Amino acid sequence: MNTLCTLEQILVRDYGVAANQVTPDATLESLGLDSLSMLELMFKIEDRYGLKITEDMPTDMQTVGDVVVFVDGLITRKPELAVLSARPP
Amino acid sequence: MKPRRVAVTGFGVVAPLGDSPEELFENLVAGRSGIAYLHSPEPALDAAPGPIGAPVRFDGSGFFPAPRLRMLDRVSQMALVAARRAIANGKVDFSALARERCGVFVGTGGGGATTTSDGYRTLFEEGSDRLPPYSVLNAMHNAPAAWIAIEHGLEGPNLTYSTACSSSAVALGEAARRVQSGEADLMVAGGAETPLVRGVLKAWEAMRTLAVPDARNPSASCRPFARTRTGLVLGEGAAFAVLEEWQHALARGARIHAELTGYGLASDIAHITRPTAEGQGRAMRAALAAAGLEPESIDYINAHGTATLQNDVVETAAIKAVFGAHAYRVPVSSTKSMHGHLLGAAGALEFIVAVMCLRHDTVPPTMHLDVADPECDLDYVAGGARSGLGLRSVMSNSFAFGGTNAVLIASASAGSRSRSTEQ
Repeated sequence: MNTLCTLEQILVRDYGVAANQVTPDATLESLGLDSLSMLELMFKIEDRYGLKITEDMPTDMQTVGDVVVFVDGLITRKPELAVLSARPP
Repeated sequence: MKPRRVAVTGFGVVAPLGDSPEELFENLVAGRSGIAYLHSPEPALDAAPGPIGAPVRFDGSGFFPAPRLRMLDRVSQMALVAARRAIANGKVDFSALARERCGVFVGTGGGGATTTSDGYRTLFEEGSDRLPPYSVLNAMHNAPAAWIAIEHGLEGPNLTYSTACSSSAVALGEAARRVQSGEADLMVAGGAETPLVRGVLKAWEAMRTLAVPDARNPSASCRPFARTRTGLVLGEGAAFAVLEEWQHALARGARIHAELTGYGLASDIAHITRPTAEGQGRAMRAALAAAGLEPESIDYINAHGTATLQNDVVETAAIKAVFGAHAYRVPVSSTKSMHGHLLGAAGALEFIVAVMCLRHDTVPPTMHLDVADPECDLDYVAGGARSGLGLRSVMSNSFAFGGTNAVLIASASAGSRSRSTEQ
């Protein structure tokens, strides 16, 4: 499962976002996510991928696509996570 | 300068026994109890077989979308819904009012107790090392007041009072003073409390102040003023009123349910838990003085009446000291026998009950008063509700651990009496 699909699952299940709203261009604000919701989302991503985000989160993430790029970057640096991402959330 | 008059122009509740003041009052007059065993369906109520309490069947997901809901503790959810109901009941359109002249005061004893409880569970039971980012904002005591102001755009004074069981009586009284003094024209004021979580229940249990469940009839476990009383029963909920300057209310054609005429505040200064007749009496006298009323003018007292061994004797003595011979004539009842003790929300809920008494010229009974206590020898309306008393002014007592005693008086206004069942 790619990262966008995983994000979509989390946003639909935990944030009440409609699936068709989750596109790379959609802004996080338009989905009703504020800065604390973003922190919480990162916790969920940590749980989902079994990792600990120790590096500073980029402060300029505006869109779903930005989050995908950030998470994919984490996975690239830790290739075994790509296997985990196939798990259902 | 004569203080401005305070009209009660709206009220709303999320309460055991009712989603509206009318439904609540109807149940109280009928002597129905909302007290029951707390079983497991409510996720927070995980002690099985549960202790007793007065829960509200309330699911916040019916009122708030998911992203908002995660930012709201149960106490804020109930507060927001009760405040919405009060504002709707008062037909208040804030877009037509000077928002900086409108504010909100809330009383709560425990704030976001569910969030705090869930946090401990996550850390200590599940072994996690982190909590949701909203934990602080959900748990803080001033969250309900903040959210109400944000939702309705109330730019004026915004305060939260935490004086244990008198919190929301204080919120109402202090809000009334802001209106009287001219600082505000309209205040949304009330309280919210959600203590039916395991940690809070266990803490109360440890104080040995909770009623022993009546095994045959758990709904009859709370027996204020009875010789057989064993303690209080915790309840949850929220209750709010719209308090408005008299001319302001008339100018917008508001329906005036009653006038908040008196508010008195006094401290026990004895012990953190022990009430005193002197402290309670001082608060009642202060409220009478504020209202400009003689004791004989009070036609009904909604007692604090917790059904603890101490409170009921001390409150009875205080009423006798303040009212003299009239103490034996004025009906006194404790509706906590049915809706339980809502702690920080109790004062607002019971003030609204008192206003309903004026509107319907009826006083609800004290239920389950099966065996009289010789030390509690007033007329506690034990036989059932009474109507047609010609009620003009009624008193609502709220006393508290910590000793902050607050007393409110509501008086009938022309047109406040209603025979219909409209809200």
